[in-house]
Amino acid sequence: MEKNESVHKPSLAYRLKKAVVGTALIAFGATFEKVSKKDEVIIEELKDWEEGLVLSLGVLPFGPAISMKKKDGYVKYLGRGYKEDPSLKILFKNVDSAFLAFTGQMGNHTAFAQHRALVHGSLIDGIKANRVMGLVQTYLLPGIVLNKIFKRPPKYTFKQLLLKGYLYLTFPITFSMNMWK
Amino acid sequence: MLPEYYEFLCPVKILSGLKALSNLTFEMELLGVKKALIVTDKGVSDAGLIKTVKKAFGGSKCEIGAIYDKTPPDSGTDIVNEVAKLFLDKKCDCFIAVGGGSSIDTAKCANMIVVEGTNDLMKFQGVERLTKPLKPFVVIPTTAGTGSEVTSAAVIYDRKNKTKLAFASGLLFPDIAILDPKMTVTMPPKITAATGMDALTHAVEAYYCLQKNPVSDAYAIAAIRLVFDSLLDSTLKPKDEKKRLAMLNASLLAGIAFSNSLVGVVHGIAHATGGVARVPHGIANSILLPFGMENNYDKAGDLIAELAPFMGATTTGSKLDQAKSAVAAVRELANELKAASGLPTKLSEAGVKKDQLEEIAKTAINDGSCTMNPEDITYEVALDIIKQAF
Ligand SMILES: NC(=O)c1ccc[n+]([C@@H]2O[C@H](COP(=O)([O-])OP(=O)(O)OC[C@H]3O[C@@H](n4cnc5c(N)ncnc54)[C@H](O)[C@@H]3O)[C@@H](O)[C@H]2O)c1
Ligand SMILES: [Fe+2]
Repeated sequence: MEKNESVHKPSLAYRLKKAVVGTALIAFGATFEKVSKKDEVIIEELKDWEEGLVLSLGVLPFGPAISMKKKDGYVKYLGRGYKEDPSLKILFKNVDSAFLAFTGQMGNHTAFAQHRALVHGSLIDGIKANRVMGLVQTYLLPGIVLNKIFKRPPKYTFKQLLLKGYLYLTFPITFSMNMWK
Repeated sequence: MLPEYYEFLCPVKILSGLKALSNLTFEMELLGVKKALIVTDKGVSDAGLIKTVKKAFGGSKCEIGAIYDKTPPDSGTDIVNEVAKLFLDKKCDCFIAVGGGSSIDTAKCANMIVVEGTNDLMKFQGVERLTKPLKPFVVIPTTAGTGSEVTSAAVIYDRKNKTKLAFASGLLFPDIAILDPKMTVTMPPKITAATGMDALTHAVEAYYCLQKNPVSDAYAIAAIRLVFDSLLDSTLKPKDEKKRLAMLNASLLAGIAFSNSLVGVVHGIAHATGGVARVPHGIANSILLPFGMENNYDKAGDLIAELAPFMGATTTGSKLDQAKSAVAAVRELANELKAASGLPTKLSEAGVKKDQLEEIAKTAINDGSCTMNPEDITYEVALDIIKQAF
């Protein structure tokens, strides 16, 4: 995590939003790791990622952030902060913008269109990551939200629906196992 | 009508019109510089345009420190490093790009290297990564298409890693754009037509894609009117300076529009077609534009319909009818340009091979432009558009 050098004390609302975003980020990282081994579309997409690529998802200026790495064909959740000198960062300009995206109020493409998020690193890698992150989101957010924020409602196979159900059921375990990373 | 949120920026001073170039050294003095590095290419230099620029230095305190005229169409990291070195060796204090998108982007990237003090552009890839303002930077476009003189973007080929490096930053804008029709009258008809269709594509996509906003809309519409008024004429009558100036303005207006609203699937596929099959950017856009517009009927048909009156198309019937008439107007213009200059209207006529279509689709979906396209661009959707345009 980048050192917090803020001059102004953040409000309670700011700290609450930051906590929500921080929690959502961990949930995202942990879910990404899980589905990267199980969802066939994601597995196929990941073949096109450079092995060893480190990707961080974070909020400017002082986090929260998480890092992930492509390892042995899958995605490994590395934990909180910018770990292993990420070559690709997807960054929200502030906590408010990240909050909109992580609470399902705004789709990824809208966040980019509204200058709320930006890519540091290869834009091609950024687009590939964005597409897979959209697929990961389909496991985290309820269908009714997805239909609102995606350009086209996602289509699930029966297998994917089962996986989504399983992830929802085991979510508390997955989350608590990754909380302190 | 208004987007939930938008941003807009264009800090470039514009000089447009008769003898605009004569103001070059006055502007240099305002910028506090006197020794320029000119970045251009062989075609531009052979057309006598560098001589014209040299003349503009006559009787002033400013001088030309060096001229780099070997910019290739696919300018790369090796070239920009060479240009930056020349700038430093000759102790220049400003850049002047004279050319089309290739020379302008080369100068932008060399400028970046000089101010950031690095020869590794890799770490500046992405959005808003520059930390220092560029050296004073004047652009004199010699094509009327890319609008790069007023955009915050630059793209350069990284030969070592065989990939394109893309940069976007509010610090990448030139200081001055000089639009002088003398500088485009030498452009051959086919390049005139192709680059002009690139400008049209910028304006049309900026108008209906997801980052549109009321300010960029105004620029886009002004550009579209000028293209429909002047592109065919400047292709048919290359020496007509009025029409040339109109197209330079169209290109600049469209550049301001898309620098702020980005583009869509047409550019996404055009970039991929350039990468895979070496089709020039303007030609690929020209071929793909009507198909890209059709792809967006469902999500942005109403917006496309709004463009019909500025294209001289029918404005009666349903919104979809009007959108269709706008697309028909674009096709008609492309066909007229084909008759006038041999501009291809199919990918197969532009040298694309059937066995390249899938690779083009695969590359296109990883292009940032597709993100801002209203319709979702999956591999299947992209391939479908490409097959139609083949
Ligand atoms: N930075 C941006 O915002 C932006 C936007 C769009 C495109 N681009 C880049 O621009 C490039 C394409 O630029 P372009 O279409 O302007 O072409 P270009 O600069 O590659 O020039 C095309 C050809 O036309 C010749 N030419 C140019 N002006 C002439 C003149 N007045 N008389 C005679 N010959 C002339 C050149 O010598 C060259 O051979 C691409 O590399 C693309 O990536 C950049
Ligand atoms: Fe373009």
